[in-house]
Amino acid sequence: MMEREHDMLPPKLADRFFKWYCNKPLYESIHGDMQERYEEYLEEFGAKKANRKYWMDVVRFMNRHTLKRSKKSNTYNSNQLIMFSNYFKVGFRNLLKNRSFTLINVLGLSVSMAVCLVIILMINDQMSYDNFQVNKDKAYRFTHRLNSGVDLPFATVPLPLADQVEENFSGIDDMVRFRSGFSGELLEDGKTVSINGLFTEPSFFDLFSFKLDQGDPKTALTNPQSVVLRKDIAEKIFNGKNAIGQTLDLGKRGSYLVTGVLAEFPGKTHIQFEALASFSSISTLEKNGSLVSALSNWENATSSWVYFTLNEGVNKDNLYPLLDDIGKERYNEDSKFVANFSIQKMSDITPGPLYGNQIGSSMPTFFVYGLGILAMLIIVCAAFNYTNLSAARALTRTKEVGVRKVMGARRHQLTLQFIVESIIVSMLSLVVAIGLLQILIPAFEGLKMSALLNWNLEVTPIIYFQFFLFSIVVGLITGLFPALYMSSFKPIQAMKKIVSSNKLSRVSLRKALIVFQFVISLVLIVSSTLVYKQMTFMIEKDYGYVKENIINVQLQGQNFEILKTELEKLPFINHISGANNIPSRGQQSDIDVRISQPDEPINFNYYSVDDSYIDNLQLTLLAGSNFLPNHGKGKESSIIINETAAGSLGFSSPLDAIGQPLIIDDSTKVSVIGVIKDYNYAMLFMDIKPMMLRFKPSHFVYAQVNLSGFDITNEIQQIENVWKEFDPNHAFEAKTFQGEIDEFNNFFYDILYIIGLISFLSISIAAMGLLGIATYSIQIRLKEVSIRKVLGASTNGLMFLLSKGFMKLFTIAMVIGFSLAYVANNAWLNEFAYRVKFGVDIFLIAAGAMIIIGALTIGLQALKATTANPATNLRDD
Amino acid sequence: MNSNLGEFEEIVLLLVAAQHGEAYGLSVTKSIEKELQRSVTMSSVHTALYRLEEKGLVSSEIGDSDGKRRGRRKRIFIITALGKKSLIAAREARNHIWDMIPKFVIEIAGI
Repeated sequence: MMEREHDMLPPKLADRFFKWYCNKPLYESIHGDMQERYEEYLEEFGAKKANRKYWMDVVRFMNRHTLKRSKKSNTYNSNQLIMFSNYFKVGFRNLLKNRSFTLINVLGLSVSMAVCLVIILMINDQMSYDNFQVNKDKAYRFTHRLNSGVDLPFATVPLPLADQVEENFSGIDDMVRFRSGFSGELLEDGKTVSINGLFTEPSFFDLFSFKLDQGDPKTALTNPQSVVLRKDIAEKIFNGKNAIGQTLDLGKRGSYLVTGVLAEFPGKTHIQFEALASFSSISTLEKNGSLVSALSNWENATSSWVYFTLNEGVNKDNLYPLLDDIGKERYNEDSKFVANFSIQKMSDITPGPLYGNQIGSSMPTFFVYGLGILAMLIIVCAAFNYTNLSAARALTRTKEVGVRKVMGARRHQLTLQFIVESIIVSMLSLVVAIGLLQILIPAFEGLKMSALLNWNLEVTPIIYFQFFLFSIVVGLITGLFPALYMSSFKPIQAMKKIVSSNKLSRVSLRKALIVFQFVISLVLIVSSTLVYKQMTFMIEKDYGYVKENIINVQLQGQNFEILKTELEKLPFINHISGANNIPSRGQQSDIDVRISQPDEPINFNYYSVDDSYIDNLQLTLLAGSNFLPNHGKGKESSIIINETAAGSLGFSSPLDAIGQPLIIDDSTKVSVIGVIKDYNYAMLFMDIKPMMLRFKPSHFVYAQVNLSGFDITNEIQQIENVWKEFDPNHAFEAKTFQGEIDEFNNFFYDILYIIGLISFLSISIAAMGLLGIATYSIQIRLKEVSIRKVLGASTNGLMFLLSKGFMKLFTIAMVIGFSLAYVANNAWLNEFAYRVKFGVDIFLIAAGAMIIIGALTIGLQALKATTANPATNLRDD
Repeated sequence: MNSNLGEFEEIVLLLVAAQHGEAYGLSVTKSIEKELQRSVTMSSVHTALYRLEEKGLVSSEIGDSDGKRRGRRKRIFIITALGKKSLIAAREARNHIWDMIPKFVIEIAGI
């Protein structure tokens, strides 16, 4: 042995590797041996080869003696692994053996899973807002609440709050103010493009993680009248030309120099804008009147937002006393507007509680929770069915369980095995469900709601992983109960194919389950039919005015009278009237009306119209007279009210209301000159409230043009031609009245669509469940059926025998189901002012559908049982 | 008696006995290489030693470091009574069968 030690050390990595895998008791001595050897290697072979030999030694030393062991005994661990592969093998074979059952299970589960997957996508989408922001956990914004009893908090605050806080509180790091109102139309290349954005400050780029593709974030928003465009908007406006240095002319709002183009950002943000204009532009705009005063206006709390970050170590709670003081200082106790200021974390904005005046679209949290709960319900339904079906199949597995138990399987091992099987089914369903997604996602994105909520339902690898986890959880949930049941078979009885009469085989439970399935299906069919009827009813109901052949032309700032004169030259025009709003679209203005000064005000809805309005829409005058043309000029003096208004003013007959003087909004004195019959000016499910027609041409936004309608396309084209000459700068914007209402109703169509989808889903799940129960019940009686057959029973007789039990249950289910459906549906239908009634046809449709489902599921099974060869069933006896 | 010793294990056990009190992984390895001209890895010798210890034929203890191995102590293996017995039994079994071989089959000088 060499006495001296070399300075060379063995390769460090090898040493580290060895230390990692070797167990403690042996480590030191083996390492020492290897070191000694290494010295000899060095002597004999030189450094390089010695290192190599050392590595080989290290690798070779890995064996079961030297490797670190986990706490459990070695044999147990290696066994588990082997058993798992056995479970998978056996599970697959089983599934293949009972192909039809597996198919039913997988299909039923995959439909539910597909819907849940979409929900997972939606939730993911909603949680992804502003994830790319560096400051996402550190940014806050001010919010306010009114003291007027309105419970809704608002995301906006008055602008001067920002400066006041910054002056009196030293912990503010960055602060960004936003003001809405950077919107308008600009003329570019001969076409008008509308643009919508916010005013904001240079600190925007400090607080938020938006980057500029072009331009300098430090200076882009410094100078007044500069603007930063979003990349896609820049491309849309300038068609590929360089945007920087160009000027945008927004008419009243002024001209702006493009100083930056915003880079695309990963993900979504709750702050919605197409362009950002410099905050410094606001003062000029306020001076020339194109923007309502906000910069120093404590009363304007609806058009501005203030975001901020705090310095290290500063707690936002320290701001509250200051906010309280500001609130007390700026607002009198009894002023109309008393605000309580508060702070909200940016990460709590979306999904978050419902706030008014959000800076962009956002989803209230309860919606996300609602989605989650919906997903859980669907899974519970599917799980329920899987349990039923598995219980049915359990009988066929008794021998297997018996043998396994005799061979020494413990209960938990058997449970594990069956759970593995259900996880396999769940995985298969996942694959099918992902396939279904290809259809479902486009369908969901086609909903009108999607445009509103700006869903991004894209599947990323992380989401696939979530799907994977989800299907494992589903497999666990659905498989747990059947697994526990099947693993509880006693070996000897199982071998003899006698299943103990525990809960699942008792007849009453089976009956209850069948009734339950029937009831669910019934309620669903009735409900979806009702929803469909209600929706179509609302869409087709007579609103009380005429909307056919009326086109609503947007005035876009033009003078109504002049346009009217021009259009009247066309031969097919019947009437033209002006209005500030289109009825039945959910937008109506409202205002307070009193009979005399000290009275309590009554809130009236109103429309600003002209003297042709009543004729145009063919409303009915019950008393009094229409507007005279001169009523629209000068001071407002006359109004026309509806029946309900007359009633609310205390008049028993419309005639009595004529001539009644009223005060509008504490300022305008008018008198009633006419009363019209009630019509649905609001959305159909709202009650008709007191409403009045006012003659105020300055409010006009639309010209409602009544055509003859013989050749609508041509007539609209001619109107468009007139418009083009009249106002070449603006695109012709007009819609048919019916079309507008349809468009608005599209929202309801969406709901219909979704409810239909859910109903279909649930009914198919219920049908699957029914199939399972039917199979199960009939399987139990297979022997009986075979014996009867041998003794000479007829097929018909047997069919009747098997179905008899179900008929009874069916009837019970009908009774329960219809009563339940009646109660449940009445509840929501009564929310509507106008609703459909329960009719015999609903009863027939539902019952018919049920009979079909019942016949298909139970009948088929019964048929299969009765036509089977008795010999096969009686073989074992 | 316990299960029969493998050939390699027997050799290792013999060497443990031969090096009495001084036997450790590397020393046995080097002996095998030197005395028997067999190439053998340290790991196989170590494994054999651990198996022998499992069977109770040797016992081990951590000895002092002798200044040579940068302070790392050695695990010294000592043959147990059981180990001695199985060596003797093995040898007797061999000899017994040797005795059965007629002289002319295997000529060995000196026997």
